Amino acid sequence: MKQHTVALALAAGTLITTNVLAEDFDWRKFEGTEITWAYDIHPYADAVVAYLDEFEELTGIKVSPELYPDDTYWGKLNIQLSSGSPDWDVVGTGVQPAWDVTPAGQLTPLRAFIEDPSMTNPEFDYEDFFPALRRAWTWNVEEENIIDTPDGEIWAIPHAFENVQLMYRTDILDRLGVEPPGTLPDLTAACLQITKADPSITPMAVRGVRFWSSIHTAPISIARSYGVSDFVGSGDDLDTGLDSADSIRFHKDYVEMIQACAPDSWANDNWYQVVDGLSSGKTAMAMDANMFGFWNNIKGASEASGKIAFAPPLTAPGNAEFASNIFIWSLAINAASEKKGAAWYFTQWATSKEMNVRGATDGKLVNSPRTSTWQDQAWIDYAKQPEFNNFYDTFNTVQPKISLLFTPRYGFAIAMNAWAVAMQDMVGGDDVQERLSELADDIREELE
Amino acid sequence: MVREGVKRGGSGRTFLLISLLPAILILGGFILLFFWGFYQSLTDMRFGRASVDFEGFGNYARLFGRGRFWDSVSTTTIYAFTAVACEAVLGLAIAKLFNTRTLLAKWCRPVILLPLVLPPLSVALMWTTMMNPETGVLNYFLSFIGINNFGWISKADTAMFAVVFIDVWTFTPFFVLIIFAGLRGISPEIIEAGRMNGAKAWGLFLKIELPMVLPYIILAALFRLIDSLNQFDIIFGTTQGGPGNATNVLSISAYFTAFQNLQFGRGAAIMIVNWFIVLISALVMVKLWRYTRKRVS
Repeated sequence: MKQHTVALALAAGTLITTNVLAEDFDWRKFEGTEITWAYDIHPYADAVVAYLDEFEELTGIKVSPELYPDDTYWGKLNIQLSSGSPDWDVVGTGVQPAWDVTPAGQLTPLRAFIEDPSMTNPEFDYEDFFPALRRAWTWNVEEENIIDTPDGEIWAIPHAFENVQLMYRTDILDRLGVEPPGTLPDLTAACLQITKADPSITPMAVRGVRFWSSIHTAPISIARSYGVSDFVGSGDDLDTGLDSADSIRFHKDYVEMIQACAPDSWANDNWYQVVDGLSSGKTAMAMDANMFGFWNNIKGASEASGKIAFAPPLTAPGNAEFASNIFIWSLAINAASEKKGAAWYFTQWATSKEMNVRGATDGKLVNSPRTSTWQDQAWIDYAKQPEFNNFYDTFNTVQPKISLLFTPRYGFAIAMNAWAVAMQDMVGGDDVQERLSELADDIREELE
Repeated sequence: MVREGVKRGGSGRTFLLISLLPAILILGGFILLFFWGFYQSLTDMRFGRASVDFEGFGNYARLFGRGRFWDSVSTTTIYAFTAVACEAVLGLAIAKLFNTRTLLAKWCRPVILLPLVLPPLSVALMWTTMMNPETGVLNYFLSFIGINNFGWISKADTAMFAVVFIDVWTFTPFFVLIIFAGLRGISPEIIEAGRMNGAKAWGLFLKIELPMVLPYIILAALFRLIDSLNQFDIIFGTTQGGPGNATNVLSISAYFTAFQNLQFGRGAAIMIVNWFIVLISALVMVKLWRYTRKRVS
């Protein structure tokens, strides 16, 4: 009893101290500064834009959002960063693109800001972000190489993240008497069952375009369950793992699945075709970022509202261990920015606990990268509404197994784009073993 | 008098020089950019890497040693020459139709230019939707004649046909326009003289009209060949160079190398090779055009 009292007193003391410190924090330090924040046109941007007035009132910093369509944004981001232009202060980015820009010092390291109490609100609580997300954003740069280390620099703050799950239309699977599959061969069998029962339904949709974005959803997640890694070894001995026996086994099953399940347009399908198939009811299942299912389940959002359920990613036969890859939408500070202090103030505000809960309960900032959001009653009540089916519970099942399944390294895009092209060739009929061997040779030659 | 004349000549020359200066500067800018691109191709310039090392012809040596590069060269030439040949034949046929006084010609003349005024990326998006093997309208029509699930842009064995088809649909009107102008330029007396000598319609076409419009056809082919060898919009908007590498022409390959794989030096080298192919093709076409023009005159 005495121990409980002491603990309670300590907790209360900590809370009071934190609040006092939070109140002491000078939000007006950069009053009068104007900064530019660049981002993709995306619900994640909307979640922040909706409250920009409050930030300006709190800090006196004026933020000009520059939002671009997805296809344009990433190219423009590359150009802005590489040209050393200070026009953009805060940018939206992801871990994988950052592997290619941090070696040239184009992003500002953030650890110094996070650890400086005069620059970071005590309520910010960096440790509140899911460990896998913090880990993914931590590395050092030495001689233009990425050195993956848990004690390294922090390059951006997670803003929201995608994790890969199987999503399925409950109305279609119920009508056709098909159970959601657990393994890749199960999926192929389920597809054949669906096609036989109703040929007008496309059994499964996954991305197939010849960019690494196709690889980072279904293939890399399922491949890990087969024991496949994009790279094996470490340091100078880092070598592609795509011609291993496990990889051959995975690709044979995956190619067979695509041939049996995916629409004929698979090679041209990006995320929007995948999502459209699921929301319009043309497609029974899809494996992609889970928030697409969430957004389509929102009341009135689409014809699919309330009909999309979730399951963990598929696995190799005989292996119950699944893996789910992530893409972390994050806020980073341009190294060429001349207003880094104000930029950091905006970054910590936009990724704060309060903004995460607000964005999530507005139905936009999903999945929140903060553990506190997922324990917040307002968000739990929102996410557990019947139209979201098993979204909340499946997230909690998958969350402990999420991680960035790509190996941090410069030249990531070269290898993964080549993998996407090889996948198209194999689905088109190329011999799996030969094509993987050719792919591995290409990667070795390119990255030597 | 002489001194005045020199003075006038001097100020005239200055005026001429000032008038030409903007054009010279723009031309100089283009040449500078070209040489900058060429210089880039001799370096290992990579996005995200601070240092840039001069490698001489290392990028070219690497490219020439790779089978995939030669596949891209072959894909580029097959795409361009097939598209231009089809456009020339179809353009000639349609121009010939337009040169008649039929009702069909009257109706078609205003419509034919429509594809030319559409932005190529919009054209690509439109055809992507129509060529979707499952939901596209083209396969719906093909199903009436017993062809089901034609792959169009989604299968490696049909993708090249599909992108050439789109190019032909878009740019045949360009040939029509130029050849039609050529046909209208043929003096009626020459045709009449042919008729007097007993030539029938087919003979008139083969012996008189075709040789006389040939310089026009070659001129149109020259412009289209330059454009087709550099084609990017239509292919990127439909297949993005796939499936696999089925439509991976040099311009797409350069884009991927530079902007997706972030190897700017290598990407520049691919574009320089593409430029060289365009240059050689253009020189051959110009020579051919001169020869045919000489024959006609």
